[in-house]
Amino acid sequence: MKALVLLSDARHPVSGRPAPAATELQAVALAHTLADEVNGLHAGPDAEAARGALGHGLTRLEHRQLTAGDDPLPSLVAAIGTAPPDLVLAGPRAGAGAQTGLLPYCLAEALGWPIVADAVSLAVADGVLEVIQALPKGARRRWRMRLPAVITVHPAAPAAASFALGVARKGQVVETPGLPARIEGPPVAERPYRPRPRLIASAAAGAGAAERLKAATQATGPGGQVMVAPPPEAAARAILDHLRAIGVLKPAERG
Amino acid sequence: MSRLRRDPREERATHRLTDGGRPRWGLEAPPASGRLRRDPRREIEAARVPGLQRLRLDRTSRSIIPVIPSPVEPLPKAAPTIRIVEEPAFLVAVVPDAPGGRLTPLDRQLLGAARDLADVAGGATLVLAFGTVDGLGLAGADRVITMAGGGSEDPSARAIALATALSALHPRHVLFPESAKGGDLARRLVARTGEELFTGAENLTGKLVTRAAANRRIEQRMAPPGLMTLAPDAHSPHAGPAHEAREIPAPDVFPSGGHGAILSVEDLPVAADALSLAEADFVISAGSGIADFDLFRALARALGATPGASRMVCDAGLMPRAAQVGASGTVLEAACYFALGISGAPQHLQGVARCEHVVAVNTDLHAAMVERAGLAIIADAHPVMSALLVALRAEAQE
Ligand SMILES: Cc1cc2nc3c(=O)[nH]c(=O)nc-3n(C[C@H](O)[C@H](O)[C@H](O)COP(=O)(O)OP(=O)(O)OC[C@H]3O[C@@H](n4cnc5c(N)ncnc54)[C@H](O)[C@@H]3O)c2cc1C
Repeated sequence: MKALVLLSDARHPVSGRPAPAATELQAVALAHTLADEVNGLHAGPDAEAARGALGHGLTRLEHRQLTAGDDPLPSLVAAIGTAPPDLVLAGPRAGAGAQTGLLPYCLAEALGWPIVADAVSLAVADGVLEVIQALPKGARRRWRMRLPAVITVHPAAPAAASFALGVARKGQVVETPGLPARIEGPPVAERPYRPRPRLIASAAAGAGAAERLKAATQATGPGGQVMVAPPPEAAARAILDHLRAIGVLKPAERG
Repeated sequence: MSRLRRDPREERATHRLTDGGRPRWGLEAPPASGRLRRDPRREIEAARVPGLQRLRLDRTSRSIIPVIPSPVEPLPKAAPTIRIVEEPAFLVAVVPDAPGGRLTPLDRQLLGAARDLADVAGGATLVLAFGTVDGLGLAGADRVITMAGGGSEDPSARAIALATALSALHPRHVLFPESAKGGDLARRLVARTGEELFTGAENLTGKLVTRAAANRRIEQRMAPPGLMTLAPDAHSPHAGPAHEAREIPAPDVFPSGGHGAILSVEDLPVAADALSLAEADFVISAGSGIADFDLFRALARALGATPGASRMVCDAGLMPRAAQVGASGTVLEAACYFALGISGAPQHLQGVARCEHVVAVNTDLHAAMVERAGLAIIADAHPVMSALLVALRAEAQE
């Protein structure tokens, strides 16, 4: 089985130097759990960050050369079309650039393959891929689908293999010219990032420290119901009914 | 000073009785001139603003006309006002996550943002919901469309249904939450329709949207495009009067399956006690009022809740440090917090600040946790825990 990992021209989040994105390396590790051949694919002007992934277990990296500002999608579709893998893996967001997370979806649409986001584990049994998807609040969802497919990887997936210099030296990089395609779209103005305060429940401006603490710790909402010294059975019933009413406890099955 | 100076000799002279030889004064007669004596009670009665239960005085008119206090009548309960947008100029569509038919905080913020976009020029907000959702009117929704196929959890089928519905409705903007579910659906939709998507908007006004890019080194800004996803905690929820949330018929959407290669989608059961506190949705927590921790863990298992603890309990080594809730422990994102024998110190309550529902059992009626709770039981926690276990076991056997 052959797997292909899409690599972005990522930058390290702190130093800003070219480095493969963490989730893309996790995608390499996840691909190794079922594929015997894991290749990388990058389309863009510079493959230095993608080259860094070679030491984490890639056999071969294909670099489709584009000029800066070109849309990588046609080149990626062409590269996948020439030697179709069984599975394409990608990170949830690129490690640099606009970071919209749209590319895997557009790629899946262009190829006509199904896509599943946020995978944490993969398994294959007679041509059917089983994906465990991570959802918020610790929930998991199982997808079963026919190959080929596009999968994006969740940060909760198994950790990436550590860097090995010998593997990195052995890995080969194939350079091919890509398909130039200009990105059309509405104009987007760019400027240095200005952090904005996250919205929190806050007291009105000029409120005292006590009010601000109260706003930070207390939820707004109707005052609660208080039961003073009820019998334990009545208290238990009230708690269970309340938990069911707010939907955190499943309703009791009654025959 | 404008006040007249009293002349006691003159005042005395006005009281002098002229009936005999011996000088006599009649003090009961009021002095014929000079200032009246102030009666503070009458002044307060006069300044009283009628009709209110609470005493309010209006001291601007300094008249001393006695006002007979009108019997205070109970204030008529103001009927909840509902704002109705009858002829909207355009629509702002919102596709909330609404797991289990309840709006998440991000869904409310999304509706608040849609409200602002709509109110710029007399538009209306439209909720496209998969399945029925509670509390949409209060959150600011004018119209609601319940999409068919709410039962199917396959987002590729939902994206197809949404694409057809949106092409019939022509909303000016469509807003999605930038959550795992909403972000996935939005991206599937634009991959299909080829439209532009503005992802993860961190600031949204009628004129400008902003998002972070390149690892938060730059920000990108433009006029609000058609499709946007909104980052969490970027916009305040709607706080004004309720809207009508009128159900309107869905445009004809031919029910279609998802992608042909997808064979099945199923949710796996969550092992609550294996979850980390930050991920958990329902946390049950023990404080130093709890002595029987075996009973506490059994209850956590029976309820399917993730166990937590206050710092007192973790310091004593009765629960692992990873279970500590609060400022120096874990700040919860849970929907419900069940506190047993916890006083609710500020450092502890900070960890619970984002929980929507709190249930408390405490022996102290005046504990801060009781004040914070939606349901508070003032009783010893141990019999209540045992009764809860008995009730849950009885239900399981039925
Ligand atoms: C810098 C700093 C950081 C801190 N960070 C944290 C933190 O992150 N998390 C945290 O939890 N604390 C933190 N604390 C400690 C915090 O201030 C409180 O000391 C702690 O939360 C109190 O824990 P408690 O509510 O379990 O205990 P107590 O305050 O002793 O409360 C026990 C409660 O249980 C009730 N009770 C007693 N017996 C029973 C019974 N049989 N049945 C029912 N109820 C009963 C009592 O009425 C009382 O209300 C911090 C403190 C400092 C100084």
